[in-house]
Amino acid sequence: MNSPTGQPGERWNRAAVWRAQHRIAAHDSWRKLLQRPVATGLVWLMVAISLAVPSALLLTLENLRPIVPDVAGSAQLSVMLDREVNRTSAEAVQRQIESWARVDTVRLVGREQALLEFGEQTGLATLLASLDRNPLPHTLRVLPALPVSDSALNRLIGELESLPNVNRVVADTRWVARLGETLVAGERWVLALGGAMILGAILALANTLHLAIDARREEILVVRVIGGSPAFVRRPFLYTGLYFGAGGGVLAAFMLWALSVWLTGPVNALFLLYDSPGQLQSPGFKYPSALILSGAIIGWLASWAAAERYFRQLETR
Amino acid sequence: MIEFERVSRRFGDLDALRHLNLTIDQGEMAFITGHSGAGKSTLLRLLLLLDRPSSGEIRVKGELTRAIRSHRVPRYRRRFGVVFQDHRLLFDRSVHDNVALPLVIAGFSPRDSARRVRAALDKVGLLAQEYANPATLSGGEQQRVGIARAVVARPEFLIADEPTGNLDPQLSSEIMALFEAFNQVGVTVLVATHDLSLISQLRHRIITLSSGRLAGAETP
Ligand SMILES: Nc1ncnc2c1ncn2[C@@H]1O[C@H](COP(=O)(O)OP(=O)(O)OP(=O)(O)O)[C@@H](O)[C@H]1O
Ligand SMILES: [Mg+2]
Repeated sequence: MNSPTGQPGERWNRAAVWRAQHRIAAHDSWRKLLQRPVATGLVWLMVAISLAVPSALLLTLENLRPIVPDVAGSAQLSVMLDREVNRTSAEAVQRQIESWARVDTVRLVGREQALLEFGEQTGLATLLASLDRNPLPHTLRVLPALPVSDSALNRLIGELESLPNVNRVVADTRWVARLGETLVAGERWVLALGGAMILGAILALANTLHLAIDARREEILVVRVIGGSPAFVRRPFLYTGLYFGAGGGVLAAFMLWALSVWLTGPVNALFLLYDSPGQLQSPGFKYPSALILSGAIIGWLASWAAAERYFRQLETR
Repeated sequence: MIEFERVSRRFGDLDALRHLNLTIDQGEMAFITGHSGAGKSTLLRLLLLLDRPSSGEIRVKGELTRAIRSHRVPRYRRRFGVVFQDHRLLFDRSVHDNVALPLVIAGFSPRDSARRVRAALDKVGLLAQEYANPATLSGGEQQRVGIARAVVARPEFLIADEPTGNLDPQLSSEIMALFEAFNQVGVTVLVATHDLSLISQLRHRIITLSSGRLAGAETP
């Protein structure tokens, strides 16, 4: 036997020790996961679903948003002329507005045609025919030049209203505003749902990790007595949590990608319907990296919480 | 040198240790004995900072253990090699990896670590079983692996709580002989045991506890 005291010269420097201990913990934890493939797969699936559902909804909302200004841009203005204005004057007003750069097209709907259309739309044609006088004025349907912002649209409405012979301008963009509000509400709903699902995932993960820690109770007790620091004891479990979380994130990214491939056809058809230049956004690079990162953070947090709770119980026993 | 100064440990209204004064010299080998519940394990647990005294002070080489901050405790414990009655080996890894555990914790390089593990296994006569699973070993062999693990990092102190509790007399005296061998190279050895017939044959101090008090200390 040699001298009983340790020989510090033979030890590595602190950084090398730290790296080596991490390598061992990372490797051992990974091996332990692969030893139980079914259980590990189920944990990954659970994390993946909790991440994929809110992010799929988020992706959908993000795809809907560009449609909104487009629809607003195509908002058609109905310029109602004064009732005493005759067809010739109406055509003059039409030409005047058409000459403006901020206007795309102007269509004149004569009062006879307007009455016809109104009658068709409401089914009141016979009633309207019995009127001795057409109550409708000549109307100009004005399409603003694209793109047009809300304020520019309002300015245009003001300019149209100040023209002579114009009675009033109707901009039926209320449903656009309603869609915008719906989107905001949807976003909040997705955030709340996502938060709840992620919290659920953390709790379920923490429980799984608690069992993983408990399975190595013997080892923890021994390591504690022979001088392993809390960080040393905790390290393999942090890696286990990290693998659970990040693995779930990878799986979630695949799910999202598959979903977007599956939806591309129908959604792009929908865009065409709305005459929108948009196309379904693929999850791209942003979504997968955010999913994997948030999965890793969730796993790490869950294992930290589980380990802290377990060790506190151990100490106060 | 290990000093206990009027150390008491109360559990409710039970005094596991009461006003205990005790000094173990550097390089000494001593046995702690006494009836079941006398306080032997409590004494060793206090020394390893697995428990704290209700009153009194414990000094190790002059250092007040009460003053050791909690983040320093692991490092303090590494100065001790610990042998358990039920050996506490980990059956999910080889004998080698069991013995290497304190070296991984202390941060020895793998090459240096492998060399030390083999030297420790050689000392306890189990080099041939290096890559066996400890579950396949006999009780005496398992206890020797436990001893190899306790000494592999060359601690200053060797602490054993009933190390021969589950062994027959022949194996027990082999284990005690191992402890003596480590003591001869300068390790301070403290062994709690019931086995009076065995330790009375050995020429070391016997500290007898009775209901948490010092009943007598024989010096050879
Ligand atoms: N954590 C605890 N809580 C309550 N009482 C305890 C605790 N630990 C020990 N004791 C009590 O303290 C007394 C001394 O216990 P200790 O384990 O030190 O005895 P011992 O001498 O090691 O006995 P044995 O020979 O049976 O191992 C016993 O009466 C025991 O019941
Ligand atoms: Mg005991």
